[in-house]
Amino acid sequence: MLNTLKLLLPALLPSWRFFDFIAPSPRIQFALLRSEDEVPNDWVLFRPRPAYLSFTQMLGRMVWNPVWNESLFMVSCAERIIEQPTQHSEDEILKRIRFELAADMLGDMKYIQFRLVTVQRVEKELVEEFVFQSRLEPIVR
Amino acid sequence: MTFDYALRLTEVLMSFAFILQSIEHLKSFNNERILFSLRIVLSVLLVIDFYSAWVIALLFLLALIILHRFQGPYNGGADRMGLLVLVCLCLAHFAPTPYWQEIAFGYLALQLVLSYLISGWVKVVNPDWRSGRALRDVFQFSTYPVSDSLRGFADSPRLLFVMSWSVMLFELLFPLSLFSTESLVVALVIATCFHFANACIFGLNRFFWIWIAAYPSILWLQQRVFTSA
Repeated sequence: MLNTLKLLLPALLPSWRFFDFIAPSPRIQFALLRSEDEVPNDWVLFRPRPAYLSFTQMLGRMVWNPVWNESLFMVSCAERIIEQPTQHSEDEILKRIRFELAADMLGDMKYIQFRLVTVQRVEKELVEEFVFQSRLEPIVR
Repeated sequence: MTFDYALRLTEVLMSFAFILQSIEHLKSFNNERILFSLRIVLSVLLVIDFYSAWVIALLFLLALIILHRFQGPYNGGADRMGLLVLVCLCLAHFAPTPYWQEIAFGYLALQLVLSYLISGWVKVVNPDWRSGRALRDVFQFSTYPVSDSLRGFADSPRLLFVMSWSVMLFELLFPLSLFSTESLVVALVIATCFHFANACIFGLNRFFWIWIAAYPSILWLQQRVFTSA
């Protein structure tokens, strides 16, 4: 209860510091593995953004935007993990990646894992940094 | 705008925003489906003005459960604003006297003004925002642009410089619009366009609807303070 009230407080006394500085931006990448011992090499970016969206599509997203909003929630979870890893955030990301993957993509894969890579600008260059790797999660079918 | 009308309008607009948000969860996991189905039912009851005060109290309890479920807001600032609107409505209904009811609803209006003023201030004190570099970073590598083609804006530094200053000046000058109803209406129209652009470009559609839900409070407060004076 106390924890929930602590979560409520920033809504009652908001900081309103939107985009005060542009923090390193997390990317979620996942890998599918056949065994616990397998070393993941093929990391796949989760939900890469589309190359182009028409204005009509953008208008549609004004009222129906579940995938994007879920992706923003997963980014929040990723930011929480980077700040201070929690089981909740790791579970949420793993669960949502698993939910998204179709059966034919899973094939005979037994485990799923994700990692977080941040992108930030250092001077004039964009720099990627690996910051977190999740536990192996058995794929339940 | 009367207090009662502004309060009612806020209830309807907030309910609409909650319904839009909640429908998005209906294809999700079981526990989310239950929580957000309940939220849709309560929001519909609020729209038809069915025991509004008690429905708002139930919506608040549900919001706490949702907050606990996601260990924070599901959608950052937009959900926090939703909670703020909800809490202020709740207090406005259950406050013991009209004076305290007005204080509760006025607090929402005050926070709305601060939402623009403080966001403008934290940007203008940052050299990266003043040079347009920060907005360039947003387009170049942040999570927000909804398509790869939008990242191309990062290659238009002059445009981003103008956009940065337009946003900062608008946000900083927003409180001045309170001096007349006409200027406030113009400012709110500009603010609506700003949120619409953010929704299209950065996919922040939830901000658009919930910020609009708070507008009646500032329209009421402006008339309460400046017209009554």
